[in-house]
Amino acid sequence: MPPVINEEECIKCNKCVEICSEDVFFGSKKGEIPIVRYPRECVHFNGCVSVCPVPGAISLRIPLPVQLVYKPEKVDL
Amino acid sequence: MKEERIKTDVLCIGGGIAGLMAGIRAAEMGADVVVAEKGNVLYSGCGRMGNDHFETYIPKVHGPDREAWIDELLRTAKGEILIGKGLLKTQFMKAYDIVKLWHEWGINMKYKKKWEFAGHSFPGRPMTHIKYEGRFQKKVLTRQAKKRGVKVINRVMIYDLLKEGSKIVGAVGVKTREDKIVVINAKAVVLGTGKCSRLYQSLTPGWIMNDGHGGTQSGDGRAMAYRSGAELQNLEMPQRHIGPKYFARFGQATWIGVVKDWYGKPAGTFVTKPDKRYGDMICEVNKLAPEQYTQQGKGPLYMDCTDITKADHEYMRHWMDNEGYPAMTQYMDKDGIDFRKHPIEFTTYPLRGGGLIVANEKAETSLKGLYAAGDEAFGDISAAAVFGYIGGENAAKHAAKTKHIAIKKTHPRIKKLKQLADEIRGRASGPEWDETNIALMQTMSDYVGKVRNESLMLQGISHLRMIKKKAEETMIATNSHELARCLEVINMLELGELTFLMALDRKETRGLHNRPDYPFTNPTLNMAHVIRKVRSKNEMSWKTY
Repeated sequence: MPPVINEEECIKCNKCVEICSEDVFFGSKKGEIPIVRYPRECVHFNGCVSVCPVPGAISLRIPLPVQLVYKPEKVDL
Repeated sequence: MKEERIKTDVLCIGGGIAGLMAGIRAAEMGADVVVAEKGNVLYSGCGRMGNDHFETYIPKVHGPDREAWIDELLRTAKGEILIGKGLLKTQFMKAYDIVKLWHEWGINMKYKKKWEFAGHSFPGRPMTHIKYEGRFQKKVLTRQAKKRGVKVINRVMIYDLLKEGSKIVGAVGVKTREDKIVVINAKAVVLGTGKCSRLYQSLTPGWIMNDGHGGTQSGDGRAMAYRSGAELQNLEMPQRHIGPKYFARFGQATWIGVVKDWYGKPAGTFVTKPDKRYGDMICEVNKLAPEQYTQQGKGPLYMDCTDITKADHEYMRHWMDNEGYPAMTQYMDKDGIDFRKHPIEFTTYPLRGGGLIVANEKAETSLKGLYAAGDEAFGDISAAAVFGYIGGENAAKHAAKTKHIAIKKTHPRIKKLKQLADEIRGRASGPEWDETNIALMQTMSDYVGKVRNESLMLQGISHLRMIKKKAEETMIATNSHELARCLEVINMLELGELTFLMALDRKETRGLHNRPDYPFTNPTLNMAHVIRKVRSKNEMSWKTY
């Protein structure tokens, strides 16, 4: 959910800040690396990742309570 | 708090599919149009990251019998929707025109240059949905709106409608990125603020925003319509959806698999092998199946795509990219979770409530000059597009024969919002929005949730009213963003209270409205249950669809 910004890759274009409707980047300033102010309000729809011009500069970390449940290939007992 | 004033002919509140379509059409009709959006129109509403199914009747494909086609819809995707058949007819008379428009504007409504029907249909029955590449639909609709001169204002949360006498004259709201009140003077208003997604507990306890609709849809349109005296309907009739656990995401019809238990036994009888034309309709016939399996000691249930062919896997991934799934599929790829190897558990999602704003085939609400479209009146993508378009057209016509009525500086609703905003921003301590939202969600889920009997609901409404009063008197926000979130919760508390009142008044069991004290379905109540505020009192009535 919370976006994670790679500060070395980020070019401070603020496109992610502009697009996020939940405004998890609230308070970020133009020309600076965005601040993830409200990570719990992220809805993991990938808007920020999809507009980022630099591959890898921003990514989503899927929080533990939101991880998919899938059938394991085997279960050791 | 500072105030900004804007004047326009038509104001569209909410810039989702319905709001943008309304804006596009109203501007085409010659109106000055403002679309006021709480987030950013490029990425807001249920269609923010795209969709891949559009309900449409295509004469050349389906033949002349529209009735049979509508009946099929009522058996499948529209089964749960409590609205009049007249609305469905209007939608399907117009949907194909919208399909052609969207295609012309650059949303690819075809697959390999042909109409592609798949999903949401039973094997051997008429197909009701075309597949379309909707990934960039919001970008395309925004471009079309701007091309027609529509003024888009992002980051403003409209809180209340403004009336002078019985006439709608505009709306008032707050900016979400600065402390400012916005007053918009308009001759007609189209509401398109979407669903109400944070009324009941979410899929993940404590993680309020884990919802397939996104986090900004808080029933603002319904709440403001109600406060202005418009009719709402069926708030007591909740819906539930089905999808992957715990990554809340809709679009189950995009999956190509078979719903099976741990031992590989299919839950339904529609398909036994993944079928790209039909998916597994058990997901639509019985959305409660995963919950029932668990309760019966047979769970869990999986969407099992492991038998999918290579070509169909690529086909499914293509459509998932258009249906808002990239966040999930990118994480799956990174973690080595593979549709071809791992059945993914499906679950019944929690209750979703909020009812609808009463609107007719012209998208007119019960208030003159006020229109409603999209999920808050009659949802899904095709309906949002159609009724947005129709609502925009009728709003523009209304505006053309109406004069601007000035909004007084001392308008009581502007004063009230200013006072509310100043108080919430000014307090040093008290509950934050999310604390209040959790209190609301647990009260709704426990007292007007899956089981509703009179004594339970009387206790629940009393508790909710206490929470509501404390929230209004003590909530805090440290900035404009949190202020808007607080106002959202106030809207949802209002809708929660109305849900209790309507659930108490519907003395029968119907669908997910389960009243053990009235266990039978009363056939005479297959009607719209309507509520409206008349001089600060609630009036409830029954109307035929």
